[in-house]
Amino acid sequence: MNLTTDLGGLRLRNPVIAASGTFGYGEDYIKAGDISWFGAVSIKGTTIAPRAGNPPPRTCETPSGLLNSIGLENPGAKVVIEEKLPWLAQFDVPIIANISAESCEEFSELAAMFARSPHVSALEVNVSCPNVKAGGIAFGTNPDMCYESTKAVRQVWQGPLIVKLTPNVADITSIAKAAVEAGADALSLINTLVGMAIDVNTMRPVLGNITGGLSGPAIKPVALRCVWEVSRAVQVPVIGMGGISSAQDALEFLMAGATAVAVGTGLLVDPEIPRRVTQGIREYCEARGIETLQEIVGAARR
Amino acid sequence: MSLQQIYDVEARIISVSNVRGKVYKMAIDAPEIAGTAKPMQFVNVALGDSTDPLLRRPFSLSGIYPDRGIIEITWAVVGRGTEIMAGWQAGQSVKVLGPLGNGLDIANLCLDHGLILVAGGTGLAPLFPPASQALARKAEVNVFYGARSADDLLDTGDLVTGCRLHLATEDGSTGFEGLVTDLLEAHLGVQGTGDNGKPTVISCGPKPMLKQVKHICNRHGFPLLVSLEERMACGYGVCQGCAVPSAGRKSGYYRVCTDGPVFWADDIDLGECTR
Ligand SMILES: Cc1cc2nc3c(=O)[nH]c(=O)nc-3n(C[C@H](O)[C@H](O)[C@H](O)COP(=O)(O)OP(=O)(O)OC[C@H]3O[C@@H](n4cnc5c(N)ncnc54)[C@H](O)[C@@H]3O)c2cc1C
Ligand SMILES: Cc1cc2nc3c(=O)[nH]c(=O)nc-3n(C[C@H](O)[C@H](O)[C@H](O)COP(=O)(O)O)c2cc1C
Ligand code: FES
Repeated sequence: MNLTTDLGGLRLRNPVIAASGTFGYGEDYIKAGDISWFGAVSIKGTTIAPRAGNPPPRTCETPSGLLNSIGLENPGAKVVIEEKLPWLAQFDVPIIANISAESCEEFSELAAMFARSPHVSALEVNVSCPNVKAGGIAFGTNPDMCYESTKAVRQVWQGPLIVKLTPNVADITSIAKAAVEAGADALSLINTLVGMAIDVNTMRPVLGNITGGLSGPAIKPVALRCVWEVSRAVQVPVIGMGGISSAQDALEFLMAGATAVAVGTGLLVDPEIPRRVTQGIREYCEARGIETLQEIVGAARR
Repeated sequence: MSLQQIYDVEARIISVSNVRGKVYKMAIDAPEIAGTAKPMQFVNVALGDSTDPLLRRPFSLSGIYPDRGIIEITWAVVGRGTEIMAGWQAGQSVKVLGPLGNGLDIANLCLDHGLILVAGGTGLAPLFPPASQALARKAEVNVFYGARSADDLLDTGDLVTGCRLHLATEDGSTGFEGLVTDLLEAHLGVQGTGDNGKPTVISCGPKPMLKQVKHICNRHGFPLLVSLEERMACGYGVCQGCAVPSAGRKSGYYRVCTDGPVFWADDIDLGECTR
C-alpha cells in the first residue's frame, strides 16, 4: 500500500503531519515519540522578533475540546533558523515553517529569512492565529488582505507555499480562492475557532487572555465541512485538520477532499498518534484493496 | 536539555485505596517509569478512550519503587477527572505518560544543615520520595504539613520514620491550630538558626502558601525550591500551555512541565501564578 502524497510539490512519505504549535520544534517531542512517524512536521508559529506569549492560564479543557491562548510564544526567526532547524533536519522529515506577522512587509522579510535556510521544505503562512492582537487572524478574515499577505510571501519564496486558513469567517471559500490566486500551492485548514470559558467560582474568564482558540474533537465537524467546501472550490491540495484523534477521523478528512491531514490536539493527548493513524489508514486501505491514497482522497464527493 | 526518555505505558493498576475523605492513592505496575523516575517528577494519566474528558491529568509521583517496578500517585477528588479515577479498580489498565518534568537531583542539594519540607494539602504527595532519599543520605528532615482539617491530611504514615513531622490544621482538629506557615515561623523563631547554617527548604502546595513560605525563607536566607502546578495540556513540553512567569535574569515564561515543576523560588514570579 502506497501512502505517499503530494502537496503542491512537497512529497510526503505518509499523509500525517504534526500541526503547528503542538510539536514545538521537536526537541521535547522526541523524548516521547518518533519524528519519523510523521509525513512532515509544521513547527510552532514563528515571528521575526521573539514573543513571550500570553499570561497564564493559557489552556482550558472543554467538552471534547481544548481552549488555548498561547499567543505565539516563540524565540524569533533567527534562533529558530540557526538553532532549531539544523537539529530538526537530521530526522529527514520535511519541515514546514509556520510563519506569522503583523504586516505584509514583515511577512515578506520573514519568508526571505526562511528562504535562506537549507532546511525548510515548505512555508505555511499563518493568517489565522486568534491569539495575537495585531495581524494574525485579521489577514485571514478578509480576502484582499489574505491575497496581499500571500503575495508578499510568494514574491520571495519559490518553494511550496501553504496558506493556513481560519474557520472564523462567513465564507471560507472566498478566502481560499484569494490565497490560491496570490500563488498558494496548498491550503491548511482549519486553525482554531475563537472561544472562551468562565469560572463560576471566581466569576472571571478562565483564560488569562480572556478568549482563546478551540481545538480538538469538538471542532471536527466544522473542520470537515470547511475541507469539503474548500477542496471543491479550489484546485490546490488541502491539508485537513481539526480534532483528528484516530485513523477513522483522518479517513473522513481524506474522503472529504484533503490530500493530507495534520494532528494537533491529538498529539497533546497521545504522542504516538501519528503512528496509530498511519497504521490505521494502511489497514483500512489494505482490507479494501485500495492501493494508493489518491483513491480515497475526495471519495465522498464522487 | 535532559535526554530522559518519556514512556507511554499501558500499565496495570495494582491497587486503589481511599486514604480518607476525598483523598485516594493508587499503585501502578510501570517498571520503565519506576526504574528511571526522579523524586518530584510527575506522570500524565489518561482518563480512558473517550474524548470527554479529553486531556490527561498530571499527578506527582508520591512513591517510586524501582526494585518492584511500581509507581504510586496520591490525589484529591476536585473535578470530573479525579472523580473518574476514584472509581478505578485493581487489575484495570491505565495509560500513563512519564516520567515528566525536571524532578529533583537530591545529590546536588546541600543537606549539611538539614532539609525542611513544607506542604499543604495534596502538596505533600511529591515530597515523600525526596524525604526518603534525604534520610538515606543521613540528613535531618523536618516536615511541616498543613491542611484545612484532619480529614484533608494525606497518610503521613507513608513518611519514612525518621522525619520530624509538624502538623497544622486550620480548624485545629489535629496538631497546631492555624496555618502551616505560622507553625513554620513559630518553629524557626524558637529554634533560631543563628550560626547553625541554612537548611534547604522544599515546598509544595497552594500558591498563597508558597508565597508565604518564600517570604519566610527570604527573611531567614534559606534557599527555597518550590514545586508548581499549572493547567497543563500535553505535560511533555510541546504546547507551551503551562507558562509560569519568570523572575530574575530570564524574561518571559518558563514551562512548568519541562523547566519545572521544581524551581528555585527566586527564578519565578509567584505573584502571577494562577494556582
Ligand atoms: C505537575 C503537577 C502535579 C500535580 N500533582 C498532583 C498530585 O500529586 N495530587 C493531586 O491531587 N493533584 C495534583 N495535581 C493537580 C491535578 O492535576 C488536578 O487536580 C487535576 O488535573 C484535576 O482534574 P479534574 O478533572 O478532577 O478537575 P477539573 O474538573 O478539570 O478541574 C477542577 C480543578 O482542578 C484544576 N485543574 C484542572 N486541570 C488541571 C491541571 N492540569 N493542572 C492543575 N490544575 C488543574 C482546575 O483549575 C480546577 O480548579 C498536579 C498538577 C500538576 C500540574
Ligand atoms: C496549543 C496549540 C497551539 C497552536 N499553535 C499554533 C501556531 O503557532 N500556529 C498555527 O498555525 N496553528 C496553531 N495551532 C492550531 C493547530 O495547528 C490546528 O490548526 C488546530 O488546533 C486544529 O487541529 P486539532 O484539533 O487537531 O488541534 C495551535 C493549536 C494548539 C492546540
Ligand atoms: S503542558 Fe504542554 S508545554 Fe507544558
